[in-house]
Amino acid sequence: MSAAIRRLRWAVPYLFLLPGGLWLLVFFVVPMAVMASISLQTGSLGTGYTLSWNFGIYPEAISQFATQFLRSFEYGFIVTVLTLLIGYPMAYTIAFRGGRIKNILLLLVILPFFTSFIIRTLAWKLILADQGFVLGTLKGWGILPGDFGLIATPIAVISGLVYNFLPFMVLPLYVALEKIDHRLVEAANDLYASRLQAFLRVTLPLSMPGVFAGSLLTFIPSVGDFVNATILGSRDTTMIGNVIQSRFLDFNDFPRASALGFVLMATILAMVLVYARLVGSDELTSG
Amino acid sequence: MTERRDETRIEEAIARLVAEGRISRRSFLRRASRGGLVLGSALSLPAILAACGIKPQTSSTPPANPSGSTGGAPTPIPSPAGELDFANWPAYIDIDDKGKYPTIQKFTKQTGIKVTYTEAINDNEEFFGKIQPDLEAGNQTAYDLIVMTDWMIQKMIRFGYLEKIDKSQVPNFTANADSLYVNPWYDPNNTYSLAWQSGITGIGYNPTLTKRAITTFDDLLDPAFKGHVGLFSEMRDTMCMALLSIGVKPEDATVADVQKAGNKLLAAAKNGQFRNFYGNDYYDELANKNLWITIAWSGDITQMQLYDNPNVKFIVPQSGGMRWVDNMAIPNKAAHPVDAHMMMNFWYDPANAVPLSEYIGYFSPVKGVPDLISKDADAAEAKGDKATAAQLRVVAKTVNPTPDELQNVYNYKRLTEAEELAWNSVFEQVRTG
Amino acid sequence: MTATTMPLTATEAPVADYRPPLRSRLSRLLLPVYTALAVAYLFLPIAVMVAFSFNNPRGRQNITWQGFTLQNYVDVWSRPDITDPMVQSLIVAVVSTIIATALGTLIGLALTRYRFPGQGTTNILIFLPMATPEIIMGASLLSLWVSLGVSRSLITIIIAHVMFNISYVVVTIRARLQGFDRGLEEAAMDLGADEWTTFRKVTFPLIFPGILAAALLAFALSIDDYVITSFVAGKTITFPLWVFGVSRLGVPPEVNVLGTLIFVVAFLAIAAQVLWQRRQARRQLVPSRAP
Repeated sequence: MSAAIRRLRWAVPYLFLLPGGLWLLVFFVVPMAVMASISLQTGSLGTGYTLSWNFGIYPEAISQFATQFLRSFEYGFIVTVLTLLIGYPMAYTIAFRGGRIKNILLLLVILPFFTSFIIRTLAWKLILADQGFVLGTLKGWGILPGDFGLIATPIAVISGLVYNFLPFMVLPLYVALEKIDHRLVEAANDLYASRLQAFLRVTLPLSMPGVFAGSLLTFIPSVGDFVNATILGSRDTTMIGNVIQSRFLDFNDFPRASALGFVLMATILAMVLVYARLVGSDELTSG
Repeated sequence: MTERRDETRIEEAIARLVAEGRISRRSFLRRASRGGLVLGSALSLPAILAACGIKPQTSSTPPANPSGSTGGAPTPIPSPAGELDFANWPAYIDIDDKGKYPTIQKFTKQTGIKVTYTEAINDNEEFFGKIQPDLEAGNQTAYDLIVMTDWMIQKMIRFGYLEKIDKSQVPNFTANADSLYVNPWYDPNNTYSLAWQSGITGIGYNPTLTKRAITTFDDLLDPAFKGHVGLFSEMRDTMCMALLSIGVKPEDATVADVQKAGNKLLAAAKNGQFRNFYGNDYYDELANKNLWITIAWSGDITQMQLYDNPNVKFIVPQSGGMRWVDNMAIPNKAAHPVDAHMMMNFWYDPANAVPLSEYIGYFSPVKGVPDLISKDADAAEAKGDKATAAQLRVVAKTVNPTPDELQNVYNYKRLTEAEELAWNSVFEQVRTG
Repeated sequence: MTATTMPLTATEAPVADYRPPLRSRLSRLLLPVYTALAVAYLFLPIAVMVAFSFNNPRGRQNITWQGFTLQNYVDVWSRPDITDPMVQSLIVAVVSTIIATALGTLIGLALTRYRFPGQGTTNILIFLPMATPEIIMGASLLSLWVSLGVSRSLITIIIAHVMFNISYVVVTIRARLQGFDRGLEEAAMDLGADEWTTFRKVTFPLIFPGILAAALLAFALSIDDYVITSFVAGKTITFPLWVFGVSRLGVPPEVNVLGTLIFVVAFLAIAAQVLWQRRQARRQLVPSRAP
């Protein structure tokens, strides 16, 4: 039996990949390929589409919506950094100091997300309302000018994004931190490292896979988000997600919408590759 | 003077009844789902892969049924399938406290047709996006009867996505429809659609925050309100109101006019005049005072006055408001067209239109509804139920537009595909810059 | 005190009679306090949701406090229009989580433990769904179904959810699998265990936290998804679809009730699990304490 297994060893990774890979192939790659072909077509819903290999649509779409693209990446970057700063201490505490209630704490982090995001975002609108119980009271005490508003500002949008993606950062961080052997930290301490030094030179580097994973899970979806910008934002905070929505919905402009989508995907992928190189060249290719 | 006192007394009565819990909040729920977040169209794979021009589908007529019936209660029409899939907007049909639909149940009892009622429509374009691939491919959609706003009906007719209506199967419409809703701008001769409910888009505002009365569209551009003004994310409502404010009737607007109106809005938008572009969520923002003044729908403001903020006011601006009509229509290749016709016919019987209006409270397309509601009010009064009577009298007043209101409201324009693109482009500039 | 046999236990075991200086004690409180505050921040909207589940609004909007009532908790059960979508969402979430976690774990294992041609491409394939705007994924899936003549239903929703969840599962699991010490497995096999037993008794328990975290993430993503679901749902209405529709008019307090109940149930489930774990741990300790 073992001999047979050994002979087929080369096939094992492919076998593992097969079910998931096939699923993605049929339900993602194929539809996306169609979308790609759509992006190269010209025409309209009423007059019909023809495949004209209109590659020019890509630079056109990029220049038309450059502001929204840049803004989306800007927000994505800020959100990732903020969630990392906020989430790392949380993950650290749960992993290293959580003890027996580790699982409870972890679940507390993700539990809010079992309610609908609509309810959460509406609740934030309530909390952050100009005259609501937070801002209203602060204004009453004279701490804030009467004119101050958070909704319909980039701050509100970014806060909404941070809130919604915090678990995406905390979970992978926790997963990486939790597996760090504490004896390594103890050893560092024994070698006269202060707590801070031990952290910087032992824990942090060992947790990098978690930092990498968390950053990806936060950056990638937040760049394409549109819900927070719609509910909490204003015309000055429109993101590329909003543009793509509008192109599909209002204009029925499928070629341009698809093109915008692919530009977004390609740019994100490029950034991820650069990031992987920075974090450690093995990350991406060795998995 | 006395009339105003009567009205105040009625409103006080309502407020008291509501506070006492004698009227359930559901009995005043209004529909208001137009425009707003999310969701779009898609394409059909074969159409694209075919890589050749796609001709818009021509609609086929439902099986012709020679036996016409004379008005009144629906008489049995041969060969209904016994099933109906009806998609509508949320809170757009009367509902009792148990979450059941009494009028639909009545229909089922009368005709034996089982109705699957889904509140699947949240947004015209979103819903269009969901059924468009099937319609494009010539498939059946999941629905036999849908409710869409007038401009979307026009768009769907343009694409040939709707079945023609067999008038012989809807005699109640011919007999009872108010002339306002017959042969409308978006569907000549009601070939494809029958009106469901109608309303007015105007301006809602909070006088305690604006500190003055509002009279016209340009008040939205008053710098004193900067950052607290709302516009709709729906292109047609906003652009048409803006066109009216530069003195152009929407039905006559050229693309140059639209550009001009758009520039006017754009200048203000760049200054930060508008807080955001809203769908239905403008209601929350107005109620919680983030917005001081906004484009609004009449029925919503009445709601707000009753429950959330009695101070808000609704006006049809001097420059003009917009009149919209939501309509029932049958998508192509619907599985049960005869049943759909029977249901449409059912709603044009005043006996059924009345409970619908009493619940929804927007304008009813059926003649004689206000009088019937008043009669119901009298009956309730006679039984000593002053509460319901007062409630019904308020509804009787609001269920038809006043001549004043009608005076100053306009219809949308029938847009060709090129015009739609132009209008959308101008609006996109305003909305996203 | 010598190291325990389990390499992954918490370590704090202060020597008796040693009292660290005040500053050190305070700084040790810093992290737990911070975490408590962060969790409170996460729960702020939830607190609002719970509070408003007891509200008694007269109108359709549940945005201003208008009076306390418990009636909503009674009413919600006679509102099938609210509970049915929730049931649908739960079914979709559970099924799609199980499938996605299984498929994703396999992919994660393949990518981290083996070197094979096509690895780079697979990596990219994994990232792409996360980077794709949901509306494009949804629209393209809808086109696929229409062209295949498949009508949309619960099944198509589940298929879509598995599809977008696989990536998240893989990325989360990899954070756990990277740097995994194969030495333990090799030791087990040297001691005579075959591959399957090694996996069962050594590998799986060690990667389990990663699997659990990935499953949680997938579940949360599934139960909350609106855009993609909206395209492929057909006539099925899941909870986010329903809430979205209703939120335009005013979310009835019964929705808050449902949210609160789910919350409470999940919390109780975890508390029960932890108590059970404690009891297991205590049972294991007792024999070793016996002289």
